[in-house]
Amino acid sequence: MLTLTIFLTSCSGVKELSIFKEEVPRAKLNLEKPTPLQLENLQWIIITSENADEVFKKLEEQGIDPVLWGLTDKDFELLAKNFARIRNQLMVTNNLLDEYKEYYESETENDKE
Amino acid sequence: MGIRLFFIGLIATALAGGGFYVLKLQKDNAILKANAIKLESAISEQQTLIENQKKDFEEILNANKKMNELVSVLKKDLEDLDKRFNKKNRDVGKLAIAKTKSIERITNGASALATRCIEIASGSPLTEKEINATKKSEINTECPSIANPNYIPY
Repeated sequence: MLTLTIFLTSCSGVKELSIFKEEVPRAKLNLEKPTPLQLENLQWIIITSENADEVFKKLEEQGIDPVLWGLTDKDFELLAKNFARIRNQLMVTNNLLDEYKEYYESETENDKE
Repeated sequence: MGIRLFFIGLIATALAGGGFYVLKLQKDNAILKANAIKLESAISEQQTLIENQKKDFEEILNANKKMNELVSVLKKDLEDLDKRFNKKNRDVGKLAIAKTKSIERITNGASALATRCIEIASGSPLTEKEINATKKSEINTECPSIANPNYIPY
């Protein structure tokens, strides 16, 4: 009886509750980068007052509607510069995205290794 | 007899007091040791934190430097384009009237190169030919800074 009591009292001790906190990092976004553009090349035709008839005739011969969208030399220059600015902005934005990805998500790559 | 008992009591009390004091000292010592371990661990954690912050700052500085370099080379490409149109008071319109076919060919060539520049800017990988280009005749004249990393202007 005494032995049984000793065994039972030994088992019934109240344990101290231990609470621990573990920091769970926020899940990484890891979005895929957009597919690079694949653009079509277009054909520029220069028309002057001298070659206009010849140009339109050639278009008709090739089965192309004899109609052209025109730009003056100044507007052509502006168009070229606008495209260069868009290209630069695209490059900067892409680079910015890469830098952010490297800064915030490179640890994930290291963890995987 | 009374005095003897008094002294015995006194000695016993002194011994008990001494014993308790030693026990208290041992307990304090254990607490101090635990505190020292905690402090060492805190210092180590702080050092790791400072090292990580240093690393972060370096990365931020590098990213800023890279971005500034990119913006500056892109600006140069744009300035070069402007020069191509207006170099030595060049009038592209008049040139196109005088040498229509030749300017048309140049325009189409430049247009194809500019199209490729946009593809590269959107993330398209560089070709071997673009990477290895070092001569003026081999480069993409519209955006050498992003298309030809090994080209050094001369």
